[in-house]
Amino acid sequence: MTIQKFGEVGRLGLMAVVISLFFALHISIGAKAIPLSDVFTALIARDETVFDHIVVWNLRMPRALIAMVVGAALAVSGALMQGLTRNPLADPGLLGLLAGASFAVVVGFGIWGSAIVPIMPLVAAGGALAASALVFWIASSAPGGARPLTLILAGAAITAFLGAIIAAVQLLDQDNFDQLRVWLTGTINGNRMSYMMWCLPWLLVGFLVSFAVARQITSLAMGDEVAIGLGVNVAQVKILSLIAVVALTASAVTLSGPLGFIGLVIPHAVRLFVGTDYRFVVPYSALVGAAYLLFVDIVARIALAPIEISTGLVTSLLGAPFFVWLVRAKL
Amino acid sequence: MKPDIIVRTPSQKLALRLPVRALWVLLGMMIALLFIIGLSLMLGSYPLSASQVLDILWQRPADETGTTIVWEFRFPRVLVSIMVGALLGLSGATLQNITRNPLADPSLVGVSQGAGFAVVALTVLMPELGYYYRPLYAFGGALVVAIIIQWISAGRTGSSTMRFILTGVGVAAFISAGTSALLTYGDINRATAALGWLAGSVHASNWQDVWLTSACLFALLPILMWASRPMAAMRMGPDTATGLGVNVSIARWGLIMLSVALAAFAVAAVGPLGFVGLVAPHVTRRLTHSGVGVHLLITAAIGGLLVAVADLFGRTAFAPVQIPAGLVTAIIGVPLFVWLIMRQQARTEL
Repeated sequence: MTIQKFGEVGRLGLMAVVISLFFALHISIGAKAIPLSDVFTALIARDETVFDHIVVWNLRMPRALIAMVVGAALAVSGALMQGLTRNPLADPGLLGLLAGASFAVVVGFGIWGSAIVPIMPLVAAGGALAASALVFWIASSAPGGARPLTLILAGAAITAFLGAIIAAVQLLDQDNFDQLRVWLTGTINGNRMSYMMWCLPWLLVGFLVSFAVARQITSLAMGDEVAIGLGVNVAQVKILSLIAVVALTASAVTLSGPLGFIGLVIPHAVRLFVGTDYRFVVPYSALVGAAYLLFVDIVARIALAPIEISTGLVTSLLGAPFFVWLVRAKL
Repeated sequence: MKPDIIVRTPSQKLALRLPVRALWVLLGMMIALLFIIGLSLMLGSYPLSASQVLDILWQRPADETGTTIVWEFRFPRVLVSIMVGALLGLSGATLQNITRNPLADPSLVGVSQGAGFAVVALTVLMPELGYYYRPLYAFGGALVVAIIIQWISAGRTGSSTMRFILTGVGVAAFISAGTSALLTYGDINRATAALGWLAGSVHASNWQDVWLTSACLFALLPILMWASRPMAAMRMGPDTATGLGVNVSIARWGLIMLSVALAAFAVAAVGPLGFVGLVAPHVTRRLTHSGVGVHLLITAAIGGLLVAVADLFGRTAFAPVQIPAGLVTAIIGVPLFVWLIMRQQARTEL
């Protein structure tokens, strides 16, 4: 027991070190490189008269924070979806939730213009919920029910459909939707920090609910009958998890646009180290997801410097091969 | 039930059975194609009447602007859409027959994206390479992707359709991201040119495209007709096909190459147009039952009709804004795809 406890502390410590390291690196790297030592002084002793400190506090740190929050949110919602559907290929992007949320935001933007900001997470949540309901309805009406193949095909269909409509709407009203163009490719940008306060309640609810249901998800992952036998209120857990998934996905989309494959990759990686107990999978997914998106965002900025690639492209380039490997290994 | 027409060689060694209904459908499609060509020549921001269009086509003295618009813009455009649609329809039909899978479509399994990536890569990185090489490297890109997907999804315990399609979905996502990254990296002017092409648009089509696409179509169509016999055998499964005297592995690879080439040449001309290869063979199957050969011809006609209508709708519905045909075909194709998912039991055998 003591050794296990020590292992737990060690793992947490390791994650804390990795996250702080990426956090500092993320801040230090950029168009103007800021030495790590200056980053630390800026974080500890803020001095408004030093230019580098202003850069760190106003530009770099918000971006790093958003990357962490979004990475954690997407990874946790992916973990919940995988446990809930007993489907190793579940991911908010693959099952159409990201497309639904983006579509709803584009529509809302068309109706209310920039006045949408305060309710953007709500609109995105509505879109994500509708898209996921549609995908599950299609997949479960298929002969054989909601299997990985039908779920992913339905998700791909919904994503393609909504993507085509979004593209058409953008063409019809270019001036208005031009500001959404970059966001739609999935980018992390520090100036989205102003959206954070509207997302905060959603994020809090999402994370708290996920941690609360994590224990029951472990039993659900073994099958509905097993879960019922173990005294789990299956319907309640499913509804709660769905709320958490939708709230987290909606906040992530609001903050950074659709970022694919994070929710797929991270829970699998985490399970390699902590096993299948969701009491560990969920929190570690949050930590590893935060570190991963920091790392991806660093790559996106330095791979083709001075040009930045959209972060969403890098998550796809890293995540898609993993998806292919999963298909080959697990199906 | 009307009797089928049976054509025999004098020595009775060869016979060709042609279902009457299918022939009528084919004729109907041809008339519909002529109709849509006429409509496409008439409609637009500079509307022309039918008699004006006829005057222009027969090169009788007519108004100058109209002549330019019809000959330089509308005519090549509608011809390219029809031929591209035919290529994609044929590619989808071939893919569905060899994989015995109703959900196969070149844009779903990454073949179109591979062709698109190759074209964008060469447009952005080596723009000095000529226009006429485009189909070649589109074919190269598509073929590499097809081989990768085959290679990954085969192995282990036989190859299953599910793994084939899912691998295709993953590879398609990867390549699309790679293409977008290339666009970010590339010179802005070349990237913009590539971007318009990527949306699946025929708006810039000219006579050069017409000649190139028709050359591709008329080179591949006879080969496909010749290959329709092994394809018909393959449709019954590898065991039956072997029993019928088909060398399954050769036929399989040959047909995959053919399907890839058809899709790649279409993509080279107008960019990736989604779901045409999925929709056209299904509509054909709904309309009539026939042998593989006639089915392929009708599929080509329906594919052409679909893209031509999509383009006509895309450029007139919200004028002056032009919606690329690729978006319209996706909006039409996805509901059908969903319907197929819901009622077809995806077979577990490739």
